[in-house]
Formats: sequence, C-alpha cells, structure tokens
Amino acid sequence: MALVLEAPEVAASVRPGQFVMLTAARAGESAPALPRPMAIYSRDQGAGTVEILYGVVGAGTERLRSFNPGEQIYTVGPLGRGFEVAPDVQTVLLVGRGIGTCSLTTVAQENAERGRDTIAVTSARNSGALIGVDFYRKHGAATVHAVTDDDGTSAPAALIASLTEQHDEKPPQLILTCGSDRLTRLCQTLSERWEAPMQVSVEAHMACGLGYCHGCASGARSQGNESPLICADGPAFAWRILAETDA
Amino acid sequence: MHSAVIDSRAHDRDNGTQSRPDLSVTVGDLVLGNPVMPASGCFGPELAPLIPFERLGAVVTKTVFARRRAGNPAHRLAETSHGMLNSVGIPSPGSDGFRSGLLRRYQAGGTHVIVSIGGLVASEYYEVAEDLADEDIAAFEINVSCPNLEQGGLAIGTSAERVAEVVSGIKELVAVPLFVKLTPTVSSISEIARAAQDAGAAALVVANSFSGLSINLRNRSSTLGTGAGGYTGPGIKPLALKLVHDAAAAVTIPVIGCGGISTAADVAEFMIAGATAVQIGTATFTRPTTMIEVIDDLGPLCEALNVRNISELIGTMDNRVTTGLSL
Repeated sequence: MALVLEAPEVAASVRPGQFVMLTAARAGESAPALPRPMAIYSRDQGAGTVEILYGVVGAGTERLRSFNPGEQIYTVGPLGRGFEVAPDVQTVLLVGRGIGTCSLTTVAQENAERGRDTIAVTSARNSGALIGVDFYRKHGAATVHAVTDDDGTSAPAALIASLTEQHDEKPPQLILTCGSDRLTRLCQTLSERWEAPMQVSVEAHMACGLGYCHGCASGARSQGNESPLICADGPAFAWRILAETDA
Repeated sequence: MHSAVIDSRAHDRDNGTQSRPDLSVTVGDLVLGNPVMPASGCFGPELAPLIPFERLGAVVTKTVFARRRAGNPAHRLAETSHGMLNSVGIPSPGSDGFRSGLLRRYQAGGTHVIVSIGGLVASEYYEVAEDLADEDIAAFEINVSCPNLEQGGLAIGTSAERVAEVVSGIKELVAVPLFVKLTPTVSSISEIARAAQDAGAAALVVANSFSGLSINLRNRSSTLGTGAGGYTGPGIKPLALKLVHDAAAAVTIPVIGCGGISTAADVAEFMIAGATAVQIGTATFTRPTTMIEVIDDLGPLCEALNVRNISELIGTMDNRVTTGLSL
C-alpha cells in the first residue's frame, strides 16, 4: 500500500533513514493506541510531499488503509537519526529486503542529487513483492540487483558471489542495509572484505518516537547504562554498536 | 516554588465579554492553571517542540532513582485492543544526573514541576528525596509501585503499613509537598489512601498502571521481555474511575485521577468522581498534542455542564441515581 502525504516541512527537512510517526487513530478515536513508525520511501521537495509504503500486517496498518484521499492523518516527523554518509564516499551499496527497502530509497535519491553512485540490492520472496527496482533505476543507480527467493537469487551464497564478482574491482565505500538479519550478516562479510563501514536501520515497535518513553531500547550494551534507543539514537546505527547486543 | 500560574480568566476581563470558565484548581498549596498534567513516564522534555509546556497545569517527570539504572530487556511495548502494556523498567540517570540535566529542561517549561521519585529499597526513596530537596520543585510524587527488594519484589504500594512508613520517612527529611501515586491492584484502595494521608501526603495520584500480560501464540511466551507489564490506556478508564471514587471518599486531601483519560469529557468524569486534577499518559503517545487539545476543550465543556469554575465539578457525583449495585 502507498500513502502520499502533503507535508512540506517533512519533505523539506527529512534526511535519508529518518522516519515519521503516523497515528492511525482518527481525531476522537483512541485505538490503535500507538502510532506507527514509517520510513519515507521518497520525497518530493518541490511538491511538498513524501511517499510511504506499507504492508497491511495488523490492526494499525489495517486502519491506515481505511484513510481516504484528502483526509488528514496525524503525523509527527521527521524523527530519529538517519544514515551518515562521509564526504569522501563516492559509491554506496544499499541492501534491502521487503518493506525494509523503504528505509534506503531516499539514500539513492540523495546520491543522485549529490553526484554519488548507488549500487542497490532489493530482495523479496517473489518478483511481485520486490520494492524499489524502478525507483532505483529512475534515481540513477549504477546497478540494481533484484533478487528473489523464488528463483534462488536471494540466497546469501548466490548473492555474495554475484556482488563480489561485479564489484570487487571497484567496491563501494559504504554499505547500508535494512530489513533482514540474513542480509545484515551478508553485509558484514562484504564490509570486512571491502573494508567499507556498514550501517543498519532497525525496526521497532515505538510509543513516543521521540526518546522519552524508552519503549524501543535496542538491547545493545552500552557499558551497563540504558541501551541505545531505536527512535532517538537510531534507527540507523553503525554496525559496531549493534554488534554488542546482549542477545 | 514556581509562580507560573496561567489564569484563564485574565483574557476575558480585558474585553469585557462574559468571562470564560475558570479552569484553575488547587492541589494542596499548589494552584494549577488547569487540572491537566502528564502521567509520569509518558512525558519528557523531548515533547517541547510539539506542545507548549506552560499551558499544562504541571509537568511530571519520569521516576527518578537515587542511582543510575538501565531499563528492562526488549521487548518493552505491546499494544492491546484498548491500550498498551509496557515493561520499560524505568531507566534513570540517578539523582545527580537528573539534577544536572533533565530537571533543568523540565523547569524551562514555565509551569510547576512535579518530580516522581522511586526506590528499590525504602532507603533509596529517602536518599533521592534528600538529594533533590533543595531544588525548585513543586512536589514529589512518590512512586510506591516499584518492586521492593526487601519484600521479595512486592511493591510498597500493596501494604498500608509500608506506604505509611515510606511517606512519613520522606516527610521527616524534606519540606517539599508529597503526592503519593497509589498502586491500583490492592484489596482496599481506601485503606492505603488513608494510610498515605495520615502519614502526611499532600495529595494522592490514583492510580498507576495495572499489571497485565500478553502472549505470543507462536512461541507461547510473553510478548514482553520481562513477562508481565503495566497495562494503560482507555481500557483501564472505568477501573481507575472507580478507584478515584473510592479513594476520594476515604480522604480529605486532593486526589489526582489517572488512568485512560484522553478527552475533556474523561477529565470531567474523573473530577465528578472526586478528582481535583488529572494525569494523561498513553493518550500522549497516540497524539502528542492530546493534553493541549483536552485543555482547549475544557472551557466549552464547563459551559455545557453549566459550571463557571471547573472545581465546582469535584466530587459531585450523585450517588442517589445509582440503583441496584451500590458503589
């Protein structure tokens, strides 16, 4: 499902990897009690709009689907810390699975604006569930690897073979991923092989989205203190921080 | 003590029209511009860009412990059909960290600051109260629902004797007014309310979250990292309303109602049941501007209910009209 929100302030200020909180309860309604954190799939600063993609998976997203064009939806954002791209990075590898790809697409948008190159991997169960293939191409991605479980191309061994074969000669300087533990491990292998830093965008249930409720602690160790919050310290984290997770 | 009180009558004297309802209420020695304040844990300085704190009757901090502590393991949140469960576990920067950091940001809001304090043993309550006693704080809200290590994890708030002991112990040490936030799952809220009053509480907050559970069908385990959690939101409103009614009937000190409040009509119901002021928690998650919207709606609601001063509603429930079941 897709929502295009007329939200000029968000469109003008959102950074790649940030999110918004959408309240699926209409004014006067008290359920669902918690707003849903949503990645920005694309932004159009000129039109003052942002696009959000979501799958209907529960009561909240079911309610979001009931909104009609033109209706107002209570939105707070942009929130959180997005991805950090160092000035000397020329090529970024984006690796997303399913709806997680939506956290990465605005990186490609910004790469195009700033003259950086994008290599994109979008993974899904089947070709119908792939997200971002056309979007990445439209926004100048040098290579788009669309891989699926159906044809076996999403299997880590197959994917890593294909990525190293194509990019070993001129590897990316930064790897960003979202949406799959399996792909996160794959990115870790590539990160070590290419000596490219890696950042992961993490999903979580949230209540406030601002950092005061502490409902979305990541579980990562932080010297015995409260663990980093996904909403305020993330959702994009340098991989080394999350690697210290208790679990 | 803060002097920032918003007088909702002031505007009307200027333009000579019929004055708007007076929303101010008095809790002990504290005059609040209106009866709405946040529930501890559901509010923080991070909300400053979204809501003008000076319009709130007061702000209430997260519970502060004497020593720095982390919260519970993930997952800490579970939405339910009529609210949510949390097992956040109250992470705290400790009284030193709070005093030098967060407290200043709450104070910058321009309204009364009520500081929630907690402890895992009785002495920790005394320690944190003494640490913060000289600060510019309108009241301490004593959170007696923390698991008490001296009682095998049972909250102090489940025992009238233990509540009396902790409240009078803090009272001996500090001059700051003491509000006591009661635990809802007790056999007699009246008994605990009286014990808190007799020990020197200036007001009661009724009540905290209810203990609840939610289960993941796939692995038959709790959806929360710690097992049980605190149930809050619209689902507990009737339960909290009954507790407020019973507690207010048992004491002469003011009662601050808390539990499932999300509209001005909810506020009026709690005040009619006996509350002098209210706290709003989960509804702020749903819509961060809820408290301001509720305050905006209180004036017109007072007019509709034909009261010129919102405090006229307090404790006016007509028990005669209830037939059958007695309250």
